[in-house]
Amino acid sequence: MSGGYAKLNGTDCGFMGIREIRSGVAGGKYSASEITGMYIEKIKAMDDEIGAFLTICEESAAEQAKAVDEKIRSGKEPGRLAGVPVAIKDNICTDGIRTTCASRMLENFIPPYNATVIEKLMSEDAIIIGKTNMDEFAMGSSTENSAFKITKNPRDTSRVPGGSSGGSAAAVAAGMVPVALGSDTGGSIRQPAAFCGIVGLKPTYGLVSRYGLIAFGSSLDQIGPLSKTVEDCALMLEVIQGRDDRDSTSYRGEYHQDYAGRLGREIKGLKIAVLKEYFADGLDSEIASSVNDSIRRLESLGASVDEISLPAAGDGLAPYYIISSAEASSNLARYDGIRYGYRPKEYSDIDELMEKSRSEAFGTEVKRRIMLGTYALSSGYYDAYYKRAQKYRKLLRNQLAGVFDRYDLILGPTSPVLPFKIGERSGDPLQMYLADVYTIIVNLAGLPAISIPCGLSRDGLPIGLQLIGPHYGEPVVLQAAYALEQELKLEL
Amino acid sequence: MKISKDDVVYIAKLAKLRFSDEEIEKLTVEFESILSHFQSIDRMDLDNVDPDEFADRRESVLRADENVTFGDKEKLFQNAGSMRGTFIQVPRILE
Repeated sequence: MSGGYAKLNGTDCGFMGIREIRSGVAGGKYSASEITGMYIEKIKAMDDEIGAFLTICEESAAEQAKAVDEKIRSGKEPGRLAGVPVAIKDNICTDGIRTTCASRMLENFIPPYNATVIEKLMSEDAIIIGKTNMDEFAMGSSTENSAFKITKNPRDTSRVPGGSSGGSAAAVAAGMVPVALGSDTGGSIRQPAAFCGIVGLKPTYGLVSRYGLIAFGSSLDQIGPLSKTVEDCALMLEVIQGRDDRDSTSYRGEYHQDYAGRLGREIKGLKIAVLKEYFADGLDSEIASSVNDSIRRLESLGASVDEISLPAAGDGLAPYYIISSAEASSNLARYDGIRYGYRPKEYSDIDELMEKSRSEAFGTEVKRRIMLGTYALSSGYYDAYYKRAQKYRKLLRNQLAGVFDRYDLILGPTSPVLPFKIGERSGDPLQMYLADVYTIIVNLAGLPAISIPCGLSRDGLPIGLQLIGPHYGEPVVLQAAYALEQELKLEL
Repeated sequence: MKISKDDVVYIAKLAKLRFSDEEIEKLTVEFESILSHFQSIDRMDLDNVDPDEFADRRESVLRADENVTFGDKEKLFQNAGSMRGTFIQVPRILE
């Protein structure tokens, strides 16, 4: 499945990264319209089987591509993503393009504005090619919670692509797009990247504007790129990051500008910590052995790797689900069926309108999280749950800051389990939550982290490795990920 | 952690959600299992931690409070369930 690539003028052109597409379009080797048409054809040919897309933007993408071609013909300097098709997770607002969050609640919602990241992509001449499937309101780890369709893992179509950015990950893994955007509240970029055998970056909280990202857990949510290569993640980050006055949590300090330019530097002397808690019970043995192999490779490149203990790292699950559900219950209170969103056919008064709207249009998992969050915030339980969870969060941040005083990076597996079968875990919410155990502490602490492929299981299923950096440590995260990627040279 | 069906019904009321008896039954069982896992938070030593997330931030983020007119009103209103003129229509809330 993953072997086939889009055809340009009848010939299979293999994988093309951002640099290749951009230089080809800028240099007149092919037009943005040809590239866009080629990927649209690819999506049409493959997506019936994979189910990665909720909306294919054939017309608007063609118009954008035409505008890019005209810009180049008129002699203007093409943008940094000229002609590069990008798939967008369907919780990021696109002006005039349906944005559903994979929910019946927003089935017919057409945003009247673009998210900041969309403005940034378009100002660099990228092509918005489609909107991708996800777990409803980004709540889930398998993309099975979409109200509209199941997305399949292109590596093995009987298995889930991970989630919640499963559509974006599957689209990139199948070669239907070179790059995509996802969002990560507790691992929703990194875990599907690991399951699909691609690269996914969750930037530092605040580095990328959340304006226009439909909120789930506002203190945890972050937009980031998914791609085949570390370099493409770096190039995407250069475009989508930046201070935005429309997001009050936007980072107000200095931004690194040249992530891609640093790739290829030696990692000799880099100090990496491996958390003992990440190799405890519950970790698949094939994943453990593949990650250990990568540790030896990094050592052979001159990095030093120490095993350390960070007791708080193993305890994150309960605080994470308390905080994220509490924030979700508050954020999703806006869906009342009045100003926008699903409105029931019949209702006698305002309470019935709101209750029917929410009960008929939200799916099971979304309702479960709203209930959990409402419970955790309710009178008599607030101190026992929410306040203790916030204390844990502070403790975790302090402990992690202590680790980054001594080390450049933390390394571990992205997921404790291999991609599972569709339907295998969907009946047991707690089992599903447990699969997020390695990724959630990154969001609780607001850190940057990347997942890159580090091997395959005996059955050929992808295994992902996670590198976590200090706040605004994307340069070193990307540099180390690139070094390992080049060393491993995986044929995926 | 004992959760009763009445607890679940009460939380549903706060959350403005309606459930069938069958769904309430199922949610009660799920809540028990999830909340008993959440009990792990009681075992942590958190007594001396100040939970104020923003205590170490140096400045507040402020912006000027200025009116911005949204350009295309049609685009804004197209998502509303029911309109009358430029007003969003809702059921009567005052008798």
